[in-house]
Amino acid sequence: MAGFLQQVVQGLGAGAIYASLALALVLIYQFTGIVNFAQGELAMFSTYVAWQCMAAGLPFWVALPLTLVVSFAGGMLIERVIIRPVEGAPELTIVIVTVGLFIFVNAAAGWIWTFLIKDFPNPFPGGALELGGVSLSFSTLGVLGVVALVMGLLYLLFQHTKIGLGMRAVAANPASARLVGIRVGWTLALGWGLAATVGAVSGVLVAPLLFLEPNMMAGVLIYAFAAATLGGFDSPLGAVVGGLVVGVAETLAGAYVGFIGSDLKVGVPLVIILGVLLLRPQGLFGRAAVERA
Amino acid sequence: MSELVVDDLVAGYGDARVLHGVRFTVKQGEVCAILGPNGAGKTTLLRALSGMVRTRGTVTLGGTELSGRSPDTIARLGVAHVPEGRGTFMPLTVEDNLRLGAFVRRGRAEVDSDLDRIYTYFPVLKTRLKQAAGSLSGGEQQMLAIGRALMLRPRLLLLDEPSLGLAPLVTRELFRIVQAINAEEQTTVVVVEQNAHLALGIAQQAHVLETGRIVLSGTAEEIRADEQVAQSYLGYRV
Repeated sequence: MAGFLQQVVQGLGAGAIYASLALALVLIYQFTGIVNFAQGELAMFSTYVAWQCMAAGLPFWVALPLTLVVSFAGGMLIERVIIRPVEGAPELTIVIVTVGLFIFVNAAAGWIWTFLIKDFPNPFPGGALELGGVSLSFSTLGVLGVVALVMGLLYLLFQHTKIGLGMRAVAANPASARLVGIRVGWTLALGWGLAATVGAVSGVLVAPLLFLEPNMMAGVLIYAFAAATLGGFDSPLGAVVGGLVVGVAETLAGAYVGFIGSDLKVGVPLVIILGVLLLRPQGLFGRAAVERA
Repeated sequence: MSELVVDDLVAGYGDARVLHGVRFTVKQGEVCAILGPNGAGKTTLLRALSGMVRTRGTVTLGGTELSGRSPDTIARLGVAHVPEGRGTFMPLTVEDNLRLGAFVRRGRAEVDSDLDRIYTYFPVLKTRLKQAAGSLSGGEQQMLAIGRALMLRPRLLLLDEPSLGLAPLVTRELFRIVQAINAEEQTTVVVVEQNAHLALGIAQQAHVLETGRIVLSGTAEEIRADEQVAQSYLGYRV
């Protein structure tokens, strides 16, 4: 039993990371209907910014806020400069643009920082909390705590501020949002900025567990897609729940299903994506596209 | 002096021109009805006034130029447009929908008291505050749309086919409320309506739009008395 719980805890830790990147994906999808394939690469780039700050001698807790600000501004800039011109273009066009952004950001990171792996410090202390035979590492607890915090802050922003109300209005009905005086263009840019910031958090959480290198988010992105699909692409809560479920499912499948093991683990998110699309395309928390006229 | 002045307004979608030089004025505090058959350009006219379509020509409200500005800027200048299809924010609550109407205003206390004012016009909305707006009936959504527009404290209220899809009794009630709003708040109103009878009942001035041009203008009584209009839109002979 303790062994099983240990696997679940480990899965939750991994799942929280998928959840954070899924959250970033969902933020952009909600506002613009765009699936941003470059989300993971933007997170990776942000992580390099944090690394660069620390390489310049700044302590982690100074480098982090600085990185978040840079990421926010970068996200807004990308929306204004790269996404804006293709706004309203067919979906395929936008998908290609975000795939192009993926390749560009990946190559830029390699060009600036090389493809050699770098160590990234773990902001959380080592060691673990023993609880009934299950060991909860501070690192896992920290990741779960940070994702809960991000989720809580986003909830406050969306449900209890005027900016959040405006953002929900734009997501629900952009034309009508314009008619009540909301600056829709800036709101979309704000959405991209927020997503980039959440993604930066995700990258900084991933980097200490893997190593920092330009391709580090590629795998995480697949899991994040599975999480967002499972939770529902238009539901931030769904993204988090989906992330945790995917993390646990993947860990348990790897540990207990003989033929999967650690080699086939990566197939789990793909099976989840396929299953959800077949059985419940809107995801667990997503809204199906039916409404009273 | 006229509050709304529309001069030589040309508008359309892409290469397709819909309005060909529309010209009319509305006095402050008056209700102006735009009548006309399907495809005459009534909806496009309102869209042109609120900046949703590109236009040529001039539109001024209280001397301020509206033409060439974006919809959000025009809203900030005091134009509330209840669009075709009602523009409901479906997943948001009724209260959020109403508060969004006041998005560009400051002063929470004033906005709160305006919410209460909306509930006196539309008591049914008060019973559904926390409900998703998408679950309201058509009539309730139309009330919500008008309530949302009023939350702006508009100088100019644009109503696009408020009767569309509603039962006759609900429609009559809605027009009665619009008339009360116009009387109490002195809001200038431009209403586009297929139901000419109802629209002429609350309007002082009316214009008949056909294929993008105003073909007849006058007071509501004059238009009602016009034989052509009576035959085409009112369904009886004078």
